[in-house]
Amino acid sequence: MVGTPVDLPEAAGRRFTDGAFTSALTVPDFAACLQMGLEPVGFVQGFCVMQWGWQGFAGPSTAGMGGMGYRSGPGDAGQGYSESWQCPHGFVSMEHRSWGQNFEQAWVEQAWATGFTAAYGRLIEEATALGAHGVIGLVDTSGPLGDLGVVEFRVQGTAVRVLDGPAPHEGRPWSTYLAGQRLAKLIEAGYAPVSIAAAAASVRVWASCVTGYLTEGTATAFAYQQVGAEIEQTAKAHMAVRRIARERVRAQLGGDSLHGASMTTSERELGEGDAELLCVLRGNRVRRFKAFDPMPAPRPTVRLL
Amino acid sequence: MAPEVDIRREMLNAARALGQAPSTATARMTSDLSIDEEFALHSIGWEPVELVCGVSLHSVPVGVWNWGQGEITPASAAYERSFAVATDRIHHECAGAGGHGVVGVHVEWAVRRHHIDVILVGTAVRPLGAGRVPPGSVFVSDLSGRDFTLLHAAGWAPLGLATGASFVYAPRRSMGAAMQQKSQNVELTNFTEAMYAAREAAMERMQRSALGMGGTGVVEVKVTEGPMEFAHHAVGFGAYGTVVRLVADTHRRLAPLMVLPLDDPVRSFDAASLRGK
Repeated sequence: MVGTPVDLPEAAGRRFTDGAFTSALTVPDFAACLQMGLEPVGFVQGFCVMQWGWQGFAGPSTAGMGGMGYRSGPGDAGQGYSESWQCPHGFVSMEHRSWGQNFEQAWVEQAWATGFTAAYGRLIEEATALGAHGVIGLVDTSGPLGDLGVVEFRVQGTAVRVLDGPAPHEGRPWSTYLAGQRLAKLIEAGYAPVSIAAAAASVRVWASCVTGYLTEGTATAFAYQQVGAEIEQTAKAHMAVRRIARERVRAQLGGDSLHGASMTTSERELGEGDAELLCVLRGNRVRRFKAFDPMPAPRPTVRLL
Repeated sequence: MAPEVDIRREMLNAARALGQAPSTATARMTSDLSIDEEFALHSIGWEPVELVCGVSLHSVPVGVWNWGQGEITPASAAYERSFAVATDRIHHECAGAGGHGVVGVHVEWAVRRHHIDVILVGTAVRPLGAGRVPPGSVFVSDLSGRDFTLLHAAGWAPLGLATGASFVYAPRRSMGAAMQQKSQNVELTNFTEAMYAAREAAMERMQRSALGMGGTGVVEVKVTEGPMEFAHHAVGFGAYGTVVRLVADTHRRLAPLMVLPLDDPVRSFDAASLRGK
C-alpha cells in the first residue's frame, strides 16, 4: 500500500475529541460487539476521487500492423498477462484485423489501487486518531461522481477498541468487513481479523478477426471455424482477469487466509469482439490464532413461525 | 453439548495474536463461504480450500433468431457446450487446488444475440487433511455449505450440476387469426405450445445429464424461461440443479427440532444504504 496520507480534516480532528461516539452498527451488532468486549469509538470514513488517465499508449507493446514485435504466449516476465492470436487468412484487406491480443491494463489496475488504498488509508488514519484498535463493519463502494468522468472511492466503518486489549500491531488498527454476530463467530472459529484485502484486475480484448466473426455471429467463408465454436480469446480473457485478481489478493495475504470473499466482474463490450473486463475481489484477511475445535453435528431445527 | 465459549477472552487472544507472525503449519485458504457455512462444513469433517471459477462463451451464428420453425438448434447446442466447457475448467481449477468438490457455485448464464456465456464461481472444498483427486472425480454443486452439510448428514452426496436448455420459435399465427383474436380474451396457443416444447426438451436434457452422472435425482432446480429480449418470437427454457445419489445404506432421517421463536424478526440493515443505495 502507499504511505498513509497525513491529511486528516481539521474538523474531523475536533469531532473525534468531542467525547461522544458515532457508529453505523445496527442495534443487534452493537450489542454483540459490547458482549465481545469491543467498545465503538467512532464512525470513520475515507474518500478519494480518481481520474482515469492514459499513461502513454495503453495498447499492447510495440504491436504493429505487420504483427512485428508483439508478444506471444502468456506474458513476458514482469510485464503482466498477454496472449496474442494470428489471423489465419493471409492478406485480405487493409481493414482486416491481422492479429488480436489480450493484455492486462496495468494503468487501470494502478488507478484502482491508488484510489482504493488512498480511501482506505484515510479511514485508518481517522481510526488511529481515535485511538482505535480495529475497524469493523467496513463497507467499500466506488462509482462515477456525477458526469465528471471521474470515480469516487468510499470506505466507511466503525472504529472500536478492545477492552484491556494491546495497542495495535505497528500502530495500525486491524480491519474487517464483518461485524456483530458474524465477527463473533469468526473469533469463535479461531480466526483473528487482520485487515481487508482487495484488488482489481483489468484485461483488454483486442479481438482478432476470428474472435470478431464469432462474437458477431458472422458465418462467412473466412471464419475458418465451425459454426458455434467457442470464442476462445474472450473466454481466456475472462479466466485471466479472475486469475489475476486472485493472485493480487493472495499476494496481500502473507501467510494468512482470505475469508468471506466477494468477486465482481464487469464487462464493457466495445464492438466487433473488442471488450474490456474488470474484476474486483475483496475479502477478509484472517489469521488462525487457535486450532479449530471439532464442531458437533448441528441439530436441524424448523421454526414454527 | 458444546462447551461455553468466553468470547471476551477469545477476542483478547485474537488481538494479541496479531502481534505474532502467521503460523506456517496451517494451510492458507481463500473462500467466499460465510462463517456459518464454514462451521457447518467443519461439523462433517470438511474444509474450504480455494476460490475457483470456470468460464466459457460459444458463438451463435447470425440469422438463427429470425422466423423459423421448431427448435433453434445452434442456440441450444451453444448453451450446452458453454456449460460443459465452463464445468470442465472449474473441475481442473478445483483439482489443481487440492479440492474434492466445489460448493456454493454462483451460476451465471446469459443469452446474447450472437453468443451464450456461462460463468461458474465457487469454493473448492475437501475432507480435512485429504489428498488430491483427479479432475474427473470432482463434483460441482450450487448447494450452499449448509445444504451440503444437510445432504451429507442424510446420507446423500452431490455428483455435479445437471443442466438442460432449449430455444424454440413460437410459430406465427395467420393474419386472419391474429386479426380475429386482437380484441379477444383468448389463449395464444402458439406461444403456449412453444413454451411446452422448450420445457420438455430442456427437462429431458437435464434428466439425461443427471442419469449420465449416475445420479438418482436433481435438487434445487432453478428455471429461467421466457422470450428473448432481442427476438420476442423466440422462447427459451433453461434449467440446472445439483445431481444427488444416496451413498449411505439407507436414507438417514434428520428429525428436526421444532422451535417457536419468542423474539420479533429483526429488520436487517445494510450500511451501504447510507449512500442511498
